[in-house]
Amino acid sequence: MAVPADTSQPRLAAGCRWGPETKTGAGEERVILFPEGAIKLQGTGRQVLERCDGQRTFGEIIAELQKQFGTADPAKIRGDISQFLEQLQKKRIVDY
Amino acid sequence: MVPNPLALIAEVTHRCPLHCVYCSNPLELAGTKNELSTEEWTGVFQQCGKLGMLHAHFTGGEPLARTDLTELISAARAAGLYTNLITSGIGLNEQRLQTLVDAGLDHIQISFQDSREAAANWIAGAKAHAHKIELSREIRKHKIAFTVNLVVHRQNLDHLEEMIAFIEQLNPERVEIAHAQYYGWALANRVALLPTRAQLEKAVAIVADAEQRLAGRMRIDSVVPDYYAKYPKACMGGWGRRLMLINPAGKVLPCHAAEVLPGMSFENVREKTLDWIWQESSSFRKFRGEDWMPEPCRSCDRRSEDFGGCRCQAYLLAGSDMVTDPACSLAPSHGIVETVVREANADTAVAQLAPASSFVQLQKQTTDLWSYRTNPE
Repeated sequence: MAVPADTSQPRLAAGCRWGPETKTGAGEERVILFPEGAIKLQGTGRQVLERCDGQRTFGEIIAELQKQFGTADPAKIRGDISQFLEQLQKKRIVDY
Repeated sequence: MVPNPLALIAEVTHRCPLHCVYCSNPLELAGTKNELSTEEWTGVFQQCGKLGMLHAHFTGGEPLARTDLTELISAARAAGLYTNLITSGIGLNEQRLQTLVDAGLDHIQISFQDSREAAANWIAGAKAHAHKIELSREIRKHKIAFTVNLVVHRQNLDHLEEMIAFIEQLNPERVEIAHAQYYGWALANRVALLPTRAQLEKAVAIVADAEQRLAGRMRIDSVVPDYYAKYPKACMGGWGRRLMLINPAGKVLPCHAAEVLPGMSFENVREKTLDWIWQESSSFRKFRGEDWMPEPCRSCDRRSEDFGGCRCQAYLLAGSDMVTDPACSLAPSHGIVETVVREANADTAVAQLAPASSFVQLQKQTTDLWSYRTNPE
């Protein structure tokens, strides 16, 4: 499998879903629940996955976040998000 | 205060239509009459939700043997838990599956005994294989996670590639390739189940290759059997650290096998709260932390990784739950495991054993027969 194509529509894989939101010392965080595990998400990771709704394309997600983090290198943002989603895809948490 | 558990293993019944020779249930199964009621389990799930636990793993026996399973799944989901059904699939048809999905089932895990029908039914002591295949197709029509669990051992490892190819066709997101663990029924049948070193080494290579080939399509979770490992497994992620198991009669245990430990008593959800049992009970505190540890664990760098290994295995193999797990190469009692491994490799032929005709034969621990799991009274 490769990194997501711009036209793909990333989404949570079957049986993976958001759990409750909890407030911690480090700010608000949410968990994604999946078979045999959970990941806590805050900050950028959370912003990426909340956009993986099966509607937005990968290209749109990248564009939204590049706009939001205007000062950062757009190529780096793209690279980081691609890698992040590819890792989650291997764990069968995200499909695209 | 220790951190609350992450997940509950709910053994909702010990009744089961299968009789797998490696079943992880204790030899002394919990009786049917004493099973927790729907209301009692509902109360348990609510407590779990309040403790911030994330997952409820429904297992047994066969959870589908409970006619109120839909209500139990629904109650767990309402309490905020991620619900996982670990099942043989016997007792599940299209309609009941739909009902469970509607009740909020997140994940279903079906065990396969083999890729070959006759062998699978022989291991399970029941004709279940064909139904499981049919059911797997049905499962894929729903948006729930699907895991195939494959227990591997001396009898089936020689065609592991074929079994992985078989599982690929079932199209799960995830497969667990689990070497039989030697407790309960598997310990009684160990001679027939423990693989040879050659089988194991070949299997490790096959799994590594499959992981690479299937990356992104099917996630493979596998564990090396601890008899062949250098260091012991961190059983259950450590005693009373991550997981809590409740048996059909409401007994709260740190693991599947803990009831074998001598001189220990375990609390019951009918009498105490889960919070109290987790934080305060002597059973959960007994092997938590490092104070109980003997040498060489006490001064070992790995003590915070494997926690001295498995307490039940230490007792079952070395006769004391206070010693280092004999699976550890540093354990004074490691010779016990070495002897078993040597014997398993002395004759590399895979002898197919005849089933024992009765439970009495099992208790004699004969080595030329094997014992199918029985059912509770």
